[in-house]
Amino acid sequence: MNEDKKTSQDIKPVVIEVGDGAAIPSRRDRGLVSAWKLSFFFAVATLAYLLIFRPTPYWRLFKFLPDGILVTFQVTILSILLAIVIGLLTGLGRISRNRTINLVASTYVEIVRGIPLLVQLFYIYYAIGHFVKVPDMVAAVVAMSFCYGAYMGEVFRAGILSISHGQTEAARSLGFSRTQTMFFVILPQAWRTILPPVGNEFIALLKDTSLVSILAVSDLLRRGREFASESFLYFETYTMVALIYLIITLILSKLVSIMEERLSRHVTR
Amino acid sequence: MSPADPIIRVENVSKHFDTMVALDQVSLFVQPGEKVVIIGPSGSGKSTLLRTINRLESITAGSVVVDGFDLYSPAVDINKVRMEVGMVFQSFNLFPHMTVLGNLTIAPMKLKKTPRAEAEAVARRLLEKVGIPDKADVYPVKLSGGQQQRVAIARALAMSPKIMLFDEPTSALDPEMIGEVLDVMAALAREGMTMVVVTHEMGFAREVADRIIFMDGGRIVEEAPPAKFFTAPEHPRTRKFLEQIL
Repeated sequence: MNEDKKTSQDIKPVVIEVGDGAAIPSRRDRGLVSAWKLSFFFAVATLAYLLIFRPTPYWRLFKFLPDGILVTFQVTILSILLAIVIGLLTGLGRISRNRTINLVASTYVEIVRGIPLLVQLFYIYYAIGHFVKVPDMVAAVVAMSFCYGAYMGEVFRAGILSISHGQTEAARSLGFSRTQTMFFVILPQAWRTILPPVGNEFIALLKDTSLVSILAVSDLLRRGREFASESFLYFETYTMVALIYLIITLILSKLVSIMEERLSRHVTR
Repeated sequence: MSPADPIIRVENVSKHFDTMVALDQVSLFVQPGEKVVIIGPSGSGKSTLLRTINRLESITAGSVVVDGFDLYSPAVDINKVRMEVGMVFQSFNLFPHMTVLGNLTIAPMKLKKTPRAEAEAVARRLLEKVGIPDKADVYPVKLSGGQQQRVAIARALAMSPKIMLFDEPTSALDPEMIGEVLDVMAALAREGMTMVVVTHEMGFAREVADRIIFMDGGRIVEEAPPAKFFTAPEHPRTRKFLEQIL
């Protein structure tokens, strides 16, 4: 019964681990030498070396690729926004008491998890193309967010469940409905737990957008392939593409770790 | 106060878990303005009984009628009833992402569409009443347990409820903070609030209660006014319990 309820003070902040993103620098990597610093230094130094001492073809590449970086970010940002919406719905569905909603959400997650992203990408792209003509970019974003929405759903579910049940009871006892409780009380607290893994997903998604280069979307990798097929400089091109991806993800993972730290500082309660 | 019109009517309520019986045919009637204190050992069902009065607990059989609303009928708008029944929890359950003022104003503003200025004025008056007017703008994490529980009481009162339920409000508190919370509750009782209190504080029960309910094994074993309850309990189980705790 309720005689031995835990007080909200006993509940420790939950860390949701969803793999696949770049390694997020942790507090103990703070020293002078850390994996993050080494990789970042290596990447920037190599880039600088190539641009200064091997201006052909690297300067040309460096001027040719940014259009692709822009598209990569476009696809990533649009996909993550859509994935967050899908994820919120899926997370709510997964904790719903309604058996049907619950089943639909769980089945969606199960299906997405069981199919390789590249296959999903092809499938959705051609499935959409079968019925309506949409720009490649749209198809890519839909496919990416369909997949990541499922992972995001797990993040939302875990974040929501990390909030003590006492919060729900307090809100319900004041007269808030289930939905009001979720939006006024639970989600505003859960975002602290949700945000860092969403950051991780963002990085993972950014890397996975390289897959859309197969769908005639001119992202960073696609631009690289275009350059290489004209110049036959495959090694040089992919060196540059890899370096750019690495620098971007390293910077992003640093940002996520800073955000994580800020949040955990406020969450101590 | 006509004895025929109880504001809370709990009738023959049972709650079964798989093999366990949490509540066994319990009936409890509370008159408007009455203060009922429920005591009993752990697992006796006293919290469960209290939580049926705002339907935080599901039941297996029986009915609970609060202020004319049949709580367990599918037709009832439970959120409307809950606005009239304030509840204070053992673990405070303040909303940590809002200031004290935010905690006190969110329900009136969202549920009753009270304008912010008015809600805040009421909130500040209530904070005055519970003795922490200077804490309006701090976050709950900065408050002591006793202060948090007083805010929780004020938060429930901000909805101007007709009934207040207290579920072991001092059990999670350090001993030196119990008094400040009980004082607030006693003051509320003097104002005529209808109160149902689950507690282990016998001093409070003796002073404030109109009636004491003793529960054991999911049943009401004995009920009596405090004077009689503490001096001449009828049931041997009650006597044994009182010997153990007094």
